[in-house]
Amino acid sequence: MISPGEPVRTVFNPTIAKLALQALLGRRRFYLLLAFPVLLIGLVTLITVLADGDAAFEILPGLGYPLVLPLVAILAASSVLGPEVDDGSIVYLLSKPVSRYGVAISKWVVALGATLTAGALPILVAALITGDSTRALGLFVGAVVAGTTYSALFLAISAVTRHAVIASLMFVLIWESLLGNLFTGIAWLSIGQWGLRIGHEISSELPDPANLGYAIIASLLVTVVGVWFAGDRLRSFTLRGDE
Amino acid sequence: MSDMSRPGVIHDLGYRHYDGLREGTPAIARTLFVTGLRHVYGLGRSGKSKVMPFLLLAMSVLPALIVVGVVVLTGLDSLPVSYADYTNQTQLLVSLFAAAQAPVLFSRDLRHRSIVLYLARPLSAPVFAVMRWLSLTVALWLFMAVPTLMLFIGAMLSGLDKSDQVTQLLKAVVLQTLLALLIAGITGLISSVSLRRGFAVVGSVMALIVLTGVVTAVQAIAAEQDADSASTTAGLFSPWSLYSGLANAWDAGIDTFVPVDGAWAVAYALVALLLAAACLLALVARFRKVGSR
Repeated sequence: MISPGEPVRTVFNPTIAKLALQALLGRRRFYLLLAFPVLLIGLVTLITVLADGDAAFEILPGLGYPLVLPLVAILAASSVLGPEVDDGSIVYLLSKPVSRYGVAISKWVVALGATLTAGALPILVAALITGDSTRALGLFVGAVVAGTTYSALFLAISAVTRHAVIASLMFVLIWESLLGNLFTGIAWLSIGQWGLRIGHEISSELPDPANLGYAIIASLLVTVVGVWFAGDRLRSFTLRGDE
Repeated sequence: MSDMSRPGVIHDLGYRHYDGLREGTPAIARTLFVTGLRHVYGLGRSGKSKVMPFLLLAMSVLPALIVVGVVVLTGLDSLPVSYADYTNQTQLLVSLFAAAQAPVLFSRDLRHRSIVLYLARPLSAPVFAVMRWLSLTVALWLFMAVPTLMLFIGAMLSGLDKSDQVTQLLKAVVLQTLLALLIAGITGLISSVSLRRGFAVVGSVMALIVLTGVVTAVQAIAAEQDADSASTTAGLFSPWSLYSGLANAWDAGIDTFVPVDGAWAVAYALVALLLAAACLLALVARFRKVGSR
C-alpha cells in the first residue's frame, strides 16, 4: 500500500460489510436468494401434508442439505465479491488503505450471514415441520458448520477465478455429490459430510462418515485458511480483461 | 448477392471500392451460427475459455470408455447402460455444461452492449436470437452425442447385435436432440435475462438441477404412495424428467418410477415441444426488445 502513514488495520470493516450487504440484496439477487428457502420449506410442507413427516424428511438429506445449502453459499460468496471483480470496480476498494484481510473478513461475514439465514435456517424450519426436533437440531448444527466452511471456501474460489461459480458448483455437484456417492472415502474430503458428522453427535439418525475430531478440525482449518487465502489473493490482485 | 434494398452494407468510406460478391443475411446468419458453436467450446477464444467445456466433455466421455472397456473385457452380450440412459446418468455434467456455456452466447453481447454492432448489420434481432439458440442446441447435442458415439463404436467393435444397437442409438439421438432444444432454450433465456455470469449460472442450475431434484423427489414419494398419475404428472415439470419419461415411453432403456404409457407419452411430447417453442419465442422477444433500444 503506497500511502502515507500506517494502513488502517481493522479486522472487521463495517462500511465494507454494509456495501457487500447492499450488493447481496440487490433486487434480482435477493429474489434468487429468497427462492431457495421458499422452495425448500414449501416442498417439505407439501409432502408432510400429503404423505408423512418421515417421507418429507428424506428431502432434506437428499436435496436440501447437499444441494440447496451449497448453492446458497455459492450465490452469497460470489455476490459479495464476484460483481466487483467482474466489472473491475474492485480496484477502487483495493486502492483504499484498508487491510486486504479486513476486506476478506468483512465480506465473508456478510456471505456467512446470508448462507446461514437463507440456507441453514430454512433447513431447521423444514426439518421441524417434519416432526422430530432432535433430528432437526442435529441437521441444523451440521448445516451451520457446513455453511460456514462452504462460504469461506467459495469466497476463496471467488478471489481466484472469474469462473468461481462454475468451479464451486463442480466441487459441490461432481466431487461431493456424484463422486461422493460412488466412493465413501470422499467423505474425508467433503465439507457436507464433515457437517453431518458433527450433527450426528446430536441426532444419531444422521450418518457418521468420518472421525468427529477430524471433522471439527478440518472444518475449522478450511474456514480459516479459506478466508485468509481470499485476503491473500486480494493482496496481490491483478485485474484481467474479460476472457 | 447484391441486396438492392439495403445498399452500402459494406460501408463505403471512400477508400478502395469493393466490387466482389455481396452476401446477404443467410451468409451472416450462417457465420454467426458457426462462430457461436465454436465459442461454446472455447474455440477461437482464449486458452482459459477452453478449459471448462473440454474438462466437462472429458468427464462425460470417460465413463463411456470405462463401460466399453468392461464390455470388451468381460464379453457381455449387451451394454450395461442404454444410450439414452447414459445421457440421463451423466445429466449433472450436461446441465453444468449448459449452465456454464449459455452465458457465453447469450450474456456477453448484452452485457457489453456489443449487440448493437451485430444488429447494425442487415441481421434482425429475431434471426440473431434464433442463430444463437441453434448454436447452443447443436453444441449441447454434440456434448451428448460424443459419449453416445463412443459407446456405439465400442458396442460394434465387441460384436453386439447390429440392428438392435442401431435402433437404440437412433432413438437416443432423437431424444437427445429434443433435450438439447429444451435445455438450450431454458438456459439461453435465463442467461439473456440475468446478465451477470454468476447469477445466470446459478439460475440455470436451479432450473435444471434443483428443479429436477425436486421433481424426482416428488415422483418417488408419489409412486411410493401409489399415486401413479401424480407421479407421472410431476414428471412434466422438469426437462430431465420429460426426457426420461419420453425415453421410457419409447422403450429406449430408461426406467421411471411409474411407466409412462398411452396418452401420457403424447402429453410428455407435447409439453416438451411447447416448452422448447415457448423458450425460443421468449428469447426472440427478449432480443427484439434489447435490439430496439
